[in-house]
Amino acid sequence: MTMNKPSGDTKILYDGKTVRSSAPSRKKLAGQASLGSEIPKDAIPTVEMPTFIESLLGGPLIPKTKFLPPDRMVQNLQLAVYGVLVALSLLTYMVSPPEGTLWYMITGSLAISFIMQIVIIVIAAGAGFWGTMQRDARYTLLSNLFFILAIMRFAASKVSLASDPFDLQDSPGLLNILVVSYAVLLVMYFELANGVIRYSMLDTSIRTNEVYVMNPKKIVGKYHRSLIINPISAAVLAIIVLSANTLLPLIVGIFSSDTATRLEESVELISVYGVALGTFFVFCVVGGLFALNLPNHLQKFREKRAE
Amino acid sequence: MWSRKSAMLGSLAIAMYLLGLTLRNEQLVTIAVVIFVFLTWAALFGGHADVASSGRRSDEWSGEEGMALGSVIAMRKLSSARLFEDGELSVTLRMQNDSPLAKILEVRDRVPEVMRIKEGSNYILMELGPRRETFIEYTIECPLRGFYSIGPVAVRIQDPFGLFHKEKEMHVYDDFLVFPKMEDLKETFVKSRVPKIFTGAVNIRQPGPGSEFYSLREYFEGDSFRAINWSAYARSGKLMVNERERDAVSDIIIIVDSRAVAETGPVSRNALVYSTRAAASLAKYFLSRRDSVGVIVYGDEVVSVDRDTGKKQLYVILTKLAGAVARGNIPLQVVVNRILPHINKGSPIIFLSNLEDDPTIVSALRDFRARNFDVTVLTPSSLEFEFDAKRIDRTGYEVLKTERDVLIGELRGLGVNIMDWEPDMLLSTALAGARGF
Repeated sequence: MTMNKPSGDTKILYDGKTVRSSAPSRKKLAGQASLGSEIPKDAIPTVEMPTFIESLLGGPLIPKTKFLPPDRMVQNLQLAVYGVLVALSLLTYMVSPPEGTLWYMITGSLAISFIMQIVIIVIAAGAGFWGTMQRDARYTLLSNLFFILAIMRFAASKVSLASDPFDLQDSPGLLNILVVSYAVLLVMYFELANGVIRYSMLDTSIRTNEVYVMNPKKIVGKYHRSLIINPISAAVLAIIVLSANTLLPLIVGIFSSDTATRLEESVELISVYGVALGTFFVFCVVGGLFALNLPNHLQKFREKRAE
Repeated sequence: MWSRKSAMLGSLAIAMYLLGLTLRNEQLVTIAVVIFVFLTWAALFGGHADVASSGRRSDEWSGEEGMALGSVIAMRKLSSARLFEDGELSVTLRMQNDSPLAKILEVRDRVPEVMRIKEGSNYILMELGPRRETFIEYTIECPLRGFYSIGPVAVRIQDPFGLFHKEKEMHVYDDFLVFPKMEDLKETFVKSRVPKIFTGAVNIRQPGPGSEFYSLREYFEGDSFRAINWSAYARSGKLMVNERERDAVSDIIIIVDSRAVAETGPVSRNALVYSTRAAASLAKYFLSRRDSVGVIVYGDEVVSVDRDTGKKQLYVILTKLAGAVARGNIPLQVVVNRILPHINKGSPIIFLSNLEDDPTIVSALRDFRARNFDVTVLTPSSLEFEFDAKRIDRTGYEVLKTERDVLIGELRGLGVNIMDWEPDMLLSTALAGARGF
């Protein structure tokens, strides 16, 4: 502590004394004498932003990835993911025979491309299991990519199966259902794996008092209901779309039976282009709905009806 | 609004659709269809579409008007509009859903960054039933002085899969003021050298400890026998005592340096924080002593609170100190030149500054001393703050410390009562040090 010896005499101020004005700039000296002139770390406020992967997967409610141990809801979701993963892996193996794959085109060997397909599916399933168990979005995303990679093959407009124990190849309707089931399982896997991350974030945020949830049962209940309703509706609508080759001749048949017969026998309509045609209609309808801002109108209508 | 997740799924669907056509792969097209149906279903039936909302302050709100404005209404109430540093503020946010449909809402009430949530949460995920309301209560800790606003209230509605959402900011703002905290001082050792001559605006003719006669009154038990006026006793037949007039009532001028350099150091530990707290404590002490206190805060402009007394003056001073922002670089000499003609000769002057980056400090304080003002300088050391925060190394610290000591010595040579105020030192200790105790 520096102690002061006050002086009442101010005469010294006028005795022609030269007084230096002040100390040189301390900041300037600090810049020369210290380790560097960069901005100190604690001078910059920390802004936590979700990582690219987090944002792709729906964005965290609170951008933290260190989760607390999973609660029951998350555990149930993890179990659901494991179940879906097993089914999805089997279906992926069934609906993606090695013929037409990139590996087959490169090597020309069915055995090598078969092994490659199996490896890809195993990697996809393994990464999915690990990502879900560790609740690490990076592995989940890797798994998603490998599942998509597994299905990338030149199919020559024909749905062929790698393994067909139930002779589905002979029944186009059942084959359609199998393909749709596969597609729905894939999308559900995307969603459930994402749900594990999202609800882990939410649960951690709740337990660290960063977020408070009122009526959690109702919120979780709505998610559970959506997990059942959405895939069912998606499957039904997808089957309708994929049945364009039978539905279109039926509709046309009302006006002209000859044209309907020609349509039924049309190679294009029973190929992937028929499916694409149906899908195109869906695109148009969906695009139109969004262009008309239907979600908003529908919500207003529901509110009015409720009143 | 599409989330990144839904945008990614949508892009994936389009890519798969096109690839499916190229590769003539029905599975890819099927996946694209399923994804599109999934997205459409979530968009149409996810209940995200409506966030018609309005924000109102509780005191402004009248029921019917609020009803007409939208389906989600937010109102906020604060427990207090003024508090001291480290105080707690209770916030009650009232959310109403006037819609006939239930809504799942994410509500975030934005609080200033420096505040800490002590109890409750300002981020709530809730299911708000039709025509229901709910109260969200949380408490925040206010560690730093200043003018603050709470708000806006951000509301988000999204579908259960987080694919589509709609956000809205409800512009409900509530302002509050955090005063610098004060230390209880028993003694400041600062007294005017010319008591009772320059009394400021206060009527000093008040009884108290002093030397001048003020009035006579009846003797009460506990009064000193030495105070008994025997002549008056002889005249009236009652024991009478002399009351004396208070001594040393004076004008006190407190100058606070709020230049940009005053904020050197961590946010909660810097010269400006210490100076404002010291100024508040000193103002409280002097005002309670019935002195007249004026405050000058300078940074990019010179803001002054004219000398006055009383509790109201304390709040005026506290408000100015709460609003002191580290900005600008006005030299002290400019401040001194401006205030010198207006302050009474002999008034004690207390200057609070880290004494940095101002070449006029010595000459300005010399001007005060030349006019025989009693100058006390408390200088919170930014150097210590920065060294504690490990922003400068030992060598730099030693060099700068030496320079600072030279400057302090120089000022002491002018007869200024000065104290190098180290971070963990109490204000009373620093004051005692400055006054040579």
